[in-house]
Amino acid sequence: MAKMMYRDAVLKTIAAEMERDSNVVVLGEDIVGGMGTAGGPEAIGGIWSTSTGLYDKFGPSRVIDTPISESTIIGSAAGLALSGKRPIAELMFADFIGVSLDQIWNQIAKFRYMFGGKTRCPAVIRMAYGAGFNAAAQHSQSVHSLLTSMPGLKVVTPSTPADVKGLLAHAIRDDDPVIFLEHKALYGTTGEVPDEDYTVPFGHARLARAGQDVTIVTLGLMTGFCEGVADTLAGEGIGCDVIDLRTTSPLDEEAILDSVEVTGRLVVVDESPPRCSIATDIAALVAQKAFASLKAPPALVTAPHTPIPFARELESAYLPSADKIEAAVRKTLDWR
Amino acid sequence: MGNIRAFTMPKWGIEMTEGTLAEWMVKEGESFTRGQTLCLIETDKITNEVDAEYDSVLRKLIVPAGGEAQPVGALLAVFADADVSDAEVEAFAASFKAADTSVAARKSEAPAPQPEPVAAEAAASAPARIDTNRPISPEALKLAERLGVDLNGVEGSGRGERITYQDVYQASRPAAAPALRGKLDLPLSLESFFASPLAKRLAQLHGVDLAGVKGSGARGRISKADVLALIQPAASQPGAAPFVPGENRPRIEPMDKIRKVVARRLTESKQNVPHFYLRMNVRVDELLALRKTANLVLGAKASINDYLVKAAALALVQHPAVNIQVHGDTIHHFPHADISVAVASPKGLVTPILRSADLMRIDQLAAATRALIKKAQAGKLAYADMDGGTFSVSNLGMFGIDQFDAIINPPQGAILAVGAIARVWGEGADGQGRFESRLSLALSCDHRAIDGAAGAAFMATLRGLIEAPEGLFG
Repeated sequence: MAKMMYRDAVLKTIAAEMERDSNVVVLGEDIVGGMGTAGGPEAIGGIWSTSTGLYDKFGPSRVIDTPISESTIIGSAAGLALSGKRPIAELMFADFIGVSLDQIWNQIAKFRYMFGGKTRCPAVIRMAYGAGFNAAAQHSQSVHSLLTSMPGLKVVTPSTPADVKGLLAHAIRDDDPVIFLEHKALYGTTGEVPDEDYTVPFGHARLARAGQDVTIVTLGLMTGFCEGVADTLAGEGIGCDVIDLRTTSPLDEEAILDSVEVTGRLVVVDESPPRCSIATDIAALVAQKAFASLKAPPALVTAPHTPIPFARELESAYLPSADKIEAAVRKTLDWR
Repeated sequence: MGNIRAFTMPKWGIEMTEGTLAEWMVKEGESFTRGQTLCLIETDKITNEVDAEYDSVLRKLIVPAGGEAQPVGALLAVFADADVSDAEVEAFAASFKAADTSVAARKSEAPAPQPEPVAAEAAASAPARIDTNRPISPEALKLAERLGVDLNGVEGSGRGERITYQDVYQASRPAAAPALRGKLDLPLSLESFFASPLAKRLAQLHGVDLAGVKGSGARGRISKADVLALIQPAASQPGAAPFVPGENRPRIEPMDKIRKVVARRLTESKQNVPHFYLRMNVRVDELLALRKTANLVLGAKASINDYLVKAAALALVQHPAVNIQVHGDTIHHFPHADISVAVASPKGLVTPILRSADLMRIDQLAAATRALIKKAQAGKLAYADMDGGTFSVSNLGMFGIDQFDAIINPPQGAILAVGAIARVWGEGADGQGRFESRLSLALSCDHRAIDGAAGAAFMATLRGLIEAPEGLFG
């Protein structure tokens, strides 16, 4: 067990998987950040520092620095995956999926289905996502709700360095396309990471806190917020089940229902906008399948239905916060 | 007892009664994890993979792959963690009792007498442990155990038909009480009041007169609460409890071979053979009188039906157009009447044949019929006893059926349906009114081979033979 940063967990897992399987290749914009500079290719090492040293170690045939063209990156990854490689493509910002959406949505997600199961597309598409960096409407978005709605994709949103290691290893070894979403605000966080080789299977949520009074379902950056709220409320004798989904597709329906059947109260916390989102999806699931257990209406704590504002004050008002989560939990508990 | 669990034949859908273990994917002694495929189970509809609901070890394999079909709830294997001893696993397997799989099974179990009342009371108050290998949430299982809900009747609404708390809760509740639903035609007298639509509906349903009611809503609008306040006293009176329908789940029984053959042949007949029906009433006073004498003389125990079969046989020989079989485009005419007699046997309707019934004496015919009925009721009829026949007689008179139409028994061309004898007031030969015994006969004919006139001529001869029964001994 070692303390490790989230971004280092990404880098070390990629390196370990490349070591383990020579079919694993990485590609993306500026992943060999110093290419063409006086300091040499490894002078900078990617803007998120999630690819530093890979080029030196594995060389240009397995670490491919691409032009600034998302459709090229994802299209190449699709071809590599179909021809037996296990590509890890990086989109610098999740917001950029727009220009490569045909490759993701109409090609990668559907190959296996449309070829009658006779081919596989083991591509991993990593993306940095999330708000809180004063990066405005085009560099701050959360895309997991959008991608979760597309059949054929697995969508992963790790919240801790340990989960990064287990989930990313599983994603790379998985024979289906996986969208691996890394929250920008989590890159610098640290946590204990087991030394041994392990994977975290998809569709198994993590019970981050156990409390039995209220069920809080969340993912990504919001997990930490919810854990904080749960710890605060635990001091008052209010117990929260905090469920970190880990993957939004597949969804661990059982973990959510089992918890709500005990608590009868649901708060969903998510930083993506609220319409047709993972939050409404879970609220609908609980309304459909745990109606008999509910003691209060499901509460959603999400961003509003607007683009992400640039101004710092507005952006912090936009995002769910510990105060908003706590208020929602209390309101649910006080329901008459 | 450690963490020992029974793995039993699952129930997929209300119609599944048994399944066959096609293949084990986990060997005895092997451990498995949640989500791993344990085995393949075949039903008559599908083959399904059964995935593990939890991590455990397959400690004892009870039913090997490829064997006989097992009823739902039958023990297939015992799962237990590695730290559970073999002796405990053996004891668990030995003491396993299959969960109730049907309403009938449960009802037939008489409550076991309890020698110690104290123990009996403790057993009754403690929730009965439910052993199921259907996917179910922990809270749902707890609720089912507390309320004693039979999970076999519960459909799982979760992923992979997993049973949720709400599924068990719903199953434990009585049917929803009838509520305000649908459109209600309101009389004009009600429409004129300033009241909410719901208030008007409630007023109509409960017969509340809204005249003079002061509305508590905005601008004096009469609301639901105002109407409810007026009907509350009546509602609070101890009235009859609402009717709760009893559970009415079917006991599902697959058709046996005879039933399947009967179903197939009669369906073919009714769909492919153009039936027409000739009905008439015959006087049987003479036949009834003669039967007593004849039986005495012959020392026979011939029933009215035996006489009717004999009469039909003689009439058939006179009307070869009715004594036939239809095979495709050909009609087979027979010199003698082989008559199929419809007999209710424990396994369903069977039609053994009296060969050359026209040649039999009535005592021989009666004895042959009795022998066939005995064989039918013992389920010992051979194929040869039922193969062929040129005509059928079906009698439901003993059940008090006045009259009915029968379905032709292919390849035969006709069947005679016999009803009950009734005492009817009618005009006698001397013009005086009197009671007489009458019997209803209905002949079903295959119009492809038998025309109405031919059928009618046969019936006329039959009437003659029954009403003047001396001819039966000619």
